[in-house]
Amino acid sequence: MANREQADDLLQEAWLRIHRVRHTYRPGEPVLPWIYAIARRVRVDGYRRTRRITLHEIAMEVLPEALACAEIRNPGPTFDTLVSALPEAQREVVSMLKVGGLTLDEVARATSSTVGAVKQKAHRAYERLRKLLQVQAEEGARGAAQ
Amino acid sequence: MNCKDVARALSEESRLPLQAQDHLRICNRCQELAGLLNSPVPVDPPSPATLRQMAEGMVTDLRPVRPMAPARYFFGAFVAIFVSIVALSVYRMGAFAIAVMTPLETAAIMSALAISTGLLAYSLAHQMVPGSRHRIPPRLLPVAIMILLTIAIAVLFQFQNERNFWGNAWACIRAGTSIGVLAAVPFWLMLRRGAILSPSMTGAATGLLAGLVGTSVLEIHCPNLDAWHILISHLGVAMLCALAGLVIGLAAELNFYAADSPFSANHKET
Repeated sequence: MANREQADDLLQEAWLRIHRVRHTYRPGEPVLPWIYAIARRVRVDGYRRTRRITLHEIAMEVLPEALACAEIRNPGPTFDTLVSALPEAQREVVSMLKVGGLTLDEVARATSSTVGAVKQKAHRAYERLRKLLQVQAEEGARGAAQ
Repeated sequence: MNCKDVARALSEESRLPLQAQDHLRICNRCQELAGLLNSPVPVDPPSPATLRQMAEGMVTDLRPVRPMAPARYFFGAFVAIFVSIVALSVYRMGAFAIAVMTPLETAAIMSALAISTGLLAYSLAHQMVPGSRHRIPPRLLPVAIMILLTIAIAVLFQFQNERNFWGNAWACIRAGTSIGVLAAVPFWLMLRRGAILSPSMTGAATGLLAGLVGTSVLEIHCPNLDAWHILISHLGVAMLCALAGLVIGLAAELNFYAADSPFSANHKET
C-alpha cells in the first residue's frame, strides 16, 4: 500500500463493494472469508489501476521489496518489515493467518484456493522468515563484534 | 522434531503439538520465528472522514436483499442448461457418431465430458459467491480439464491422415462455436446473479463450459473418428470458447481499471 490516503480509499471502496454484493452472503457461512475475498479483489483492482497510471513514478521510488531488504538490516525487525520481504502470495497468507486470525480453511476460501495450497504457502513463508531472521541475527552479531 | 517440522506444524495448526513445543524450548531460531508470528501487529483505525464517507455511500441503498440461493441450485441450473442445449442441438442435427463409435469409446468420452461439465458447473456455482470453498483451484481447473480431455481423445481414437481435413474441421468448428455462443448467453445470465470477483478467471471457465456444449454436440453428431479431427475441431471449439471468455473477462477488467474511481488519477486530480 503506497500511503494512508490510498489505504483509506481502498477501505471505502471495499466496504461499498461489500454493501453492493451483500445478497451473495449466505447466512450460516463464515463471514470473514466472504469479506476478505471481496477486500482482496478491491486491493488487486486498486493496485492494478494505480500501477497503470503511476508506473513511471513508481520506477523512480524504492520498490516495497527493496525497501524491506534495506529495512531488515536495521536492528529489531518488526513483523511488518520482515513479512514485506516475502512474495505477495506468501505475504497475503501469513497476514491473513497471523494478523487477521483466519483459519486455514477461511484463508483458502478468501483466496479462492485449497487448504493444501495455503498450508504450502504458509510453510514456505515460515522457512523464508526463519532465513531472514537468521541473516538479521548474523548481521547483528557481526556489527556487535566490530 | 526438527526446525522444518516446526515450520510445518506452524503452517498446519493454530496450536502447536507438544513435540513442537518441546523443540521450541531448546531452539533459538524457532523461538524467534514463533515470537515474530505471535507478536502483536498495530492496526491503524480508519479516519473519521473515511468512516463518514463509507456510511454515506451505504445509506443511499439500504433496501433489504434476498440472499442468493444455495450453490446446488446454481449447479443444477448450469447442468440443466447444458443438457437442454445439447439435447436440442442433437435433436436437430442427428446423433450419427453414436452409431459408429464402440460402446467403450462412447462411454469413455461421454463420461469425460460429463465429469468436466460437472466440475466446471460446481466451480462456477462457487465462484458466484465470494469466500466459497473450492475443492480444486478455479484457476487450474480449465487447464486440467483441457489436458484430461486431450488425453482421453488421444487414447480412445486413432490418428489418421484424413483427406480434406481443414474443410471438415471448419464445418465442425463453425457448428460447434455457434452452439457454444448460444449456450454462453444463459450461463452469463445465471452468473450475473452472483458477484464475479475475477472476470478473467470466471470468463475462461464459462467460455469452456459453453464450448463443451458445442464439443458434446459434435461428439454425438459427427461420425468422423479421426483423433486429429476430434482434437482440432471438436475440442478446439471448447478451447476457442474458453479463450474468448478469457479475453472478454480481461477486457472487462481493463475497462474497470480505466473507469473513474476513488483511487484513479482522474479522481485525484479533481
